[in-house]
Amino acid sequence: MNYAAVIIGGGLVGAATAYYLTRAGCDVALIEQGQINNGASGQNAGSLHFQMEHRLIEHGDALAELAATIMPLSLDAIERWGAIETELDQGDLDIVMHGGLMLAETAEHQQKLERKRRLEERWKLPTRLVDESELRAMAPYLSGAVTAASFCPVEGHGNARLVTTALIRAALATGKFTLRTQCVVRETRRQGQSWLVRCREVEGGEEEFSADTVLNAAGAWAADVAALADLHLPVFPVALTMNATEAAPRFIGHLIQHVGRRLSMKQLHEGNVLLGGGWSARMVRKGMYFERNARPEFKLESIRGNISVALDIVPALQGLHLLRSWTGMVGITSDSLPIVGEVPQAPGYFVAAGGSAFTLGLTYGAMVAQLMTRRETDLDISLFSPARFGPLNMFMGR
Amino acid sequence: MMPAHKIAFRFDGQPVVAMEGESIAAALLRHGIVGFRIAVDGESLRGPYCGMGICFDCRVQVSGPNRPRLMVRSCITPVAEGMDVRSVPYPELNNV
Repeated sequence: MNYAAVIIGGGLVGAATAYYLTRAGCDVALIEQGQINNGASGQNAGSLHFQMEHRLIEHGDALAELAATIMPLSLDAIERWGAIETELDQGDLDIVMHGGLMLAETAEHQQKLERKRRLEERWKLPTRLVDESELRAMAPYLSGAVTAASFCPVEGHGNARLVTTALIRAALATGKFTLRTQCVVRETRRQGQSWLVRCREVEGGEEEFSADTVLNAAGAWAADVAALADLHLPVFPVALTMNATEAAPRFIGHLIQHVGRRLSMKQLHEGNVLLGGGWSARMVRKGMYFERNARPEFKLESIRGNISVALDIVPALQGLHLLRSWTGMVGITSDSLPIVGEVPQAPGYFVAAGGSAFTLGLTYGAMVAQLMTRRETDLDISLFSPARFGPLNMFMGR
Repeated sequence: MMPAHKIAFRFDGQPVVAMEGESIAAALLRHGIVGFRIAVDGESLRGPYCGMGICFDCRVQVSGPNRPRLMVRSCITPVAEGMDVRSVPYPELNNV
């Protein structure tokens, strides 16, 4: 049998692509080395954040301008997240879009907010500045040190544990979807007009899939998976820390981010408060290589730092126990932008990685499915094509 | 077989007798104590759910002759002589 696509990676991006492709009538196989959501999709804190992040506006105007080019994808993602629960019709998927606040404390922070807002306005992202008195009324739980914010009414959070599995179920229901978990890809190569993907089940035999196209949706492992196809892909694994408090009565009604400090915060339906915002963990190293398959180690200073910023911003957290902390690994690109599209040096080999791959995950999947089925996309995503790393692959391939 | 050594501890002031090697949760459940703390709704009781250290629902506060007050998962924490085990208080949110 020849598949339309073999997808490598069973996170949100792989599952979304499988969903859109099978819905379009394509036969698809998905290969996942562990279980669905084992990587960043199951480890991240699930923010649906559309405002430009702290890390994107931190490194000068030129990079901020470049980072702003993802906003058409954000606008598409807002539509998809708003509709996916109804579309999948599998009950409550814990998707909340009740609005998000990006906070400022100092005059410098406020200038950053204003700069950010100008960029967002140009790209028509729905955000507006909120002054101190309006902020007090909107979010009485914030510390008096917070002096302004920008508000995006459609931000919130999603739960990949539910969304990814719902997408997988929807793909399976078409009867056109083959799923392999605990299955490691060993070889990816051209064979005539097709791609051949050979994999090995952890407790089982080898299997070969023949397909018109391959999608590398392997997240933090994307560079390693690309190497199997003799390609370079500048996606780097980065280790982060997340924290969760015990459940409390509902009192935080927004996604909270900070324009000048590392913070993301949200309260889940069950009442637990999730804290993150880019606090690092330590990747395990084996000799001169980072060990991709080991859980990153905690840095106590990251847990302390995250909690300390959170307490500055929401003093009432003082009354809550920290329930658990965990680390995870995410794949980021050298220029912070997504890599979505076909590798020009390897026709039929597609990549969807990097960027805000949780928030934009449904959009990446939809774009790849459109490229595979009709060679063009509704949105102009040429800026995110792997073609920009062409020089790396001029000498690669077999 | 040697009979299990008995250990005395307290839960919210009430004396409980446990077997050596038993977890705090097992000892409480054996005494018919199933609600370890007040749930977030402010009314219902919560106790052990997964029983294997994952869900944190069985958490209690523990201090003892030689240990400071700490929150632990009672399902994976063995009892010790003279332990003072207390319900985790209902979270207090000030100024919100």
